Amino acid sequence: MSNDSTMLKDEQLSVESLTDPVWIRIRDLIYQVSGIYQAENKFYLLVSRCSRRMKAVGARTPREYLEFLTARPNRDAEMRNLLNEITIGETCLFRSMPQIDALRKVVIPSLAEAKKKFSFTKLRFWSAGCSTGEEPYTLAMILLEETQTRLKGWTFEVIATDLNDRSIAKAQEGIYNDYAVRNVPPEFMKKYFTPVGSEFRVNDSVRSFISFNRLNMLDDSKMLFMRGIDTIFCCNVLIYFDGKSKTRTVEHFYNALLPNGHFFLGHSESLYGISKKFRLVHFPGTTAYWKPSESTPKAGAP
Amino acid sequence: MKTETLDRLRSRISGIDAMPAIPIILRPLLRCLDQPAEQIDVNRIVELVSYDKSIAAQCVRMANSALFGRSHPVESIRTAVLNLGMWRVRDLLFSNSLSQVIPANRWVVDPSVFWRHSLGCALVCRRFAEIIGYPDTEKAYLAGLLHDIGVLVNCMIVPNEFRATVEKAYREHIPMDEAEQATLGFTHSDSGRILAEAWKITPDLVQAIELHHEIGDPERGGPLVALVHLSDLLCRLRDLGYGYYEPRQIDFANEPGWLYLVMQFPNLAELDLARFTFTLDEYAKEVGELVSTVFAA
Ligand SMILES: C[S@@+](CC[C@H](N)C(=O)[O-])C[C@H]1O[C@@H](n2cnc3c(N)ncnc32)[C@H](O)[C@@H]1O
Ligand SMILES: [Fe+2]
Ligand SMILES: [Fe+2]
Repeated sequence: MSNDSTMLKDEQLSVESLTDPVWIRIRDLIYQVSGIYQAENKFYLLVSRCSRRMKAVGARTPREYLEFLTARPNRDAEMRNLLNEITIGETCLFRSMPQIDALRKVVIPSLAEAKKKFSFTKLRFWSAGCSTGEEPYTLAMILLEETQTRLKGWTFEVIATDLNDRSIAKAQEGIYNDYAVRNVPPEFMKKYFTPVGSEFRVNDSVRSFISFNRLNMLDDSKMLFMRGIDTIFCCNVLIYFDGKSKTRTVEHFYNALLPNGHFFLGHSESLYGISKKFRLVHFPGTTAYWKPSESTPKAGAP
Repeated sequence: MKTETLDRLRSRISGIDAMPAIPIILRPLLRCLDQPAEQIDVNRIVELVSYDKSIAAQCVRMANSALFGRSHPVESIRTAVLNLGMWRVRDLLFSNSLSQVIPANRWVVDPSVFWRHSLGCALVCRRFAEIIGYPDTEKAYLAGLLHDIGVLVNCMIVPNEFRATVEKAYREHIPMDEAEQATLGFTHSDSGRILAEAWKITPDLVQAIELHHEIGDPERGGPLVALVHLSDLLCRLRDLGYGYYEPRQIDFANEPGWLYLVMQFPNLAELDLARFTFTLDEYAKEVGELVSTVFAA
């Protein structure tokens, strides 16, 4: 955040340039392509990220940059670059508190309630596109905490997958710097990390619940094997796919989930126009998608 | 609520001289705004603003605030009104006059939290109305603004019990009306309705106040009640609530109010609700600015 505000000063972005209506068009374009929404009160972030790309391509005004994104021959590549800029450096452990609260206070209790009826006492979570592992470790720590308190006697596993071998290798190491762990609550820090030099290594007690695998989400034959999942996280990955691939991948996620299962996207990502099978649900401060069970009455959109 | 309990509550409220009085400017303001935006008389608004020194000062302060980033300081009330635009002035007038309804020392909930929620709900409700094509967007705004007015009544008539209610809601993370039902035997919808009737507010607004939690058969309250009900839920889910966590999952498409509105306004079925929700965070900023203007010392 502080980086971004210095950035603004460096670039001499005045209030005027923040309110240029072209930003709205760029925001809408990003949403249309990726499903990531940039609220107007966070425009300084959008502007600072675009301004890095504008410098790189030599665009002088937002309008000119919009042209790079829409009219120039390598506009797709530029959109990718911009999306990278937008999602980069966002990753950290315990990134989204509203999502974590929703898990701990709503999703996990109701999952447990429903599964108990069938004498199932195991939870399976999937972190798809896990990159360097921050998300699966976060999930494992939360589940570990639950199974030590409210869900005594339960077991769980976290499946973590990504396309990128190097990311997977880094994820398996499970060593993070202080910036990556800045959101981790102190009691989790104490319980689940060991300092190594200036960094922090996730304890084996957490790792043993996670399996890391390379998996290409566009590989239908592999995706078909994913079944029986309770909750999926897939943050900032679908944004890179074209419409058809998005729809197909989401279809796989749908089939992988058990009825009543939840599908979480990035904090302000939406599935609008991609799939109508999932139901949008709201939790305090965040949204997710939900796979209705057979007995759920059919409703209208969304 | 049972008529019998309601009657008892009514006599209890009227027996107390602490019943909040209607703010002086509220009625002319309501009348003045009860017409299409382009017909609203700027002079009349400037006049209303000038009635009250503190409101006038707030308008000028807000016009000079960072949000509007003027290079020349605004000094006259008229310029302030023109710079802020009719809607913001109206928001200021309402929240200011309504926050004077009860004395500062009688608040049981944090007044800035209360107005954040009420103004947030008003904005969301109006936007919602615009999107689905509900014709009276200003009524939607007012219904959102006034929907929880019963909270003020509770602060006045049962301050100690209501303090326990609010604490219970915060502690147990349950909806306010549920806590009220358990501790008071009535809710702010009931007391709000009685106040609204005493203030002679139009019947459709009274109904929105009365039914916004228990919408029951949506046919009864019509679209306005459904709009307020859904906007209230959205605000509470989106940092414009009462400032405590309500652990719940809401599937709007399955809410009776939503299903009813979809039948009345079919284009609601096409709404990108996720995106609509994300935009609410933009309101939070606007509302925050307004509330801090009203409550700045
Ligand atoms: C922007 S990162 C997001 C990482 C993490 N989920 C987060 O939210 O911070 C996108 C990740 O998606 C992965 N990815 C991209 N295409 C993929 C594919 N076809 N299959 C699996 N993973 C993919 C990339 O390797 C990268 O780690
Ligand atoms: Fe209410
Ligand atoms: Fe409310």
